[in-house]
Amino acid sequence: MSFYVIYVLVAVLLFAFLAGFTLFAVYAERKVAGFVQDRLGPMETGKFGSLQTIADILKLLQKEFISPANADKILFAAAPVVVFVAVYLGFAAMPWAPDVAPAALNLGLFYVIAIISVEAVGVLMAGWGSNNKFALLGSLRSVAQIISYEIPAGLALIAAVMITQTLDMQELTVNQGILTNERLLFLGFWDVSEIGGFFAWNIFQAPHLILAYVIYFIASLAECNRAPFDIPEAESELVSGYHTEYGGLRFAFFFLAEYCLMFLVSMIGVVLFLGGWNSPLPNIGAWKLATWTTGMAWGIFWVLAKTLLIVGIQILIRWTLPRLRVDQLMSLSWKVLTPLAFLCMVISGIWRIMVMVG
Amino acid sequence: MSLNLLLFYLLAFTAVGSALLIVSMKNLVRSLFLFFVTLFAVAGLYVFALADFVAVTQVIVYVGGVLVLMLFAFMLSNKVLLSDLQSGVKGVFGMPSWQAGIIAISFFTMLLSVVWQVAINEPQWITEAKQQQLLIRYQDNTIHHLGINLMTRYVLPFEVVSVFLMMALMGAAHLARKENQEP
Repeated sequence: MSFYVIYVLVAVLLFAFLAGFTLFAVYAERKVAGFVQDRLGPMETGKFGSLQTIADILKLLQKEFISPANADKILFAAAPVVVFVAVYLGFAAMPWAPDVAPAALNLGLFYVIAIISVEAVGVLMAGWGSNNKFALLGSLRSVAQIISYEIPAGLALIAAVMITQTLDMQELTVNQGILTNERLLFLGFWDVSEIGGFFAWNIFQAPHLILAYVIYFIASLAECNRAPFDIPEAESELVSGYHTEYGGLRFAFFFLAEYCLMFLVSMIGVVLFLGGWNSPLPNIGAWKLATWTTGMAWGIFWVLAKTLLIVGIQILIRWTLPRLRVDQLMSLSWKVLTPLAFLCMVISGIWRIMVMVG
Repeated sequence: MSLNLLLFYLLAFTAVGSALLIVSMKNLVRSLFLFFVTLFAVAGLYVFALADFVAVTQVIVYVGGVLVLMLFAFMLSNKVLLSDLQSGVKGVFGMPSWQAGIIAISFFTMLLSVVWQVAINEPQWITEAKQQQLLIRYQDNTIHHLGINLMTRYVLPFEVVSVFLMMALMGAAHLARKENQEP
């Protein structure tokens, strides 16, 4: 019985963490926006406006559920749940520290990619269920974008998987640090299995993965519907896209899903390319920095620090770059990112056979 | 009843129940979205058959791809076509009904015969494999078997499928390309 209690406890903890993260990230987003646009951002509630998002969520929780008169009531109510659950399920396979992962699946990465693609169905549900032109257009745009950008993102991830030869997220991480049993080569010539640190990260084990990571990062921005790929919610054209008709707690769920997805895609990138919970500090002679900074608490710290850094970059990009047009968005995905991702995949194959084995 | 069995029956019931609802529902969009539930339940059943790779592939291909494609096709098609589809032919003995009946009954007999052949009179090779412990267990890493088999034993079918997909892609690109405007 305690077996099931632990499962439930882990799920509740994860949800609490994600809700806390979302509150923090929304505050950070508004402060960064303020900084970029040379204003102060929220300042009224609490010291420097730090209680602003808590006040916001209290307001959203108290609001009435309103559905439009002509909406498809069932689809309208189910959509936010589907969108959020799809993202939340993705966290089941993510590794947080050595031997700490909700579920160590040997299909880990494949499962996460599959479950994220379910989000598109939820978005379509929201768009159709609202019975609103803006919502429907926004959801069609969003799904077209998510499906297009899944291809370069997936191919870039495959390029990394070809190097590590596993889909298990935990194993993927172990093979980028000092805990590995394999021989890790920095840039293909220097054995760093004992040294670890950032030298052993995938992007430094095979340098073309830097390109793959950039492709993945751009594609992941599009999958989260964030600027410069925010045409699904473009305020100036579509009010606010597929969640135009939503309010109160249902809207809060869409918001939660968006920020959780940002965290999830950043974390996938960190695990596959940037060493996951491995320490960035290498062992230098008598200074066993990597050995000292590897462990459960350190693992959680590193993975959080790296992921939050990437989320920070996503937020900064949103407020500094203008929005892409639909045709630019599609040609970027199909004519630039996809061929480059294929190139990375081919190089990965050659690298695996010529450099890592030969 | 163990939890596993309970879960199995829950998934099986969801799959069958939602599939029945899909074909009987008048609202086409809702039935498409319900199809999503069926596909998910079937994916869950695959996990019980120790085919976790197939289960995840089912989700990524059918839910992320085919279902979204169907929804797009629905949303982009015109109202006249849809109302024609929705009204259909009335009556139990209308054209589609008895055809569907024949197909359903023949499928059911096929399933029954398979159950008769495999589950009740177990073939010898299955009994032998069980005795020699040539079984897949739930802790096995199935994707390794799959990868090795795809690249050795089934490499020809694999390549044929990839050529077929390539043809489909080229066809799609050709159809989507703008025609040269004749003056």
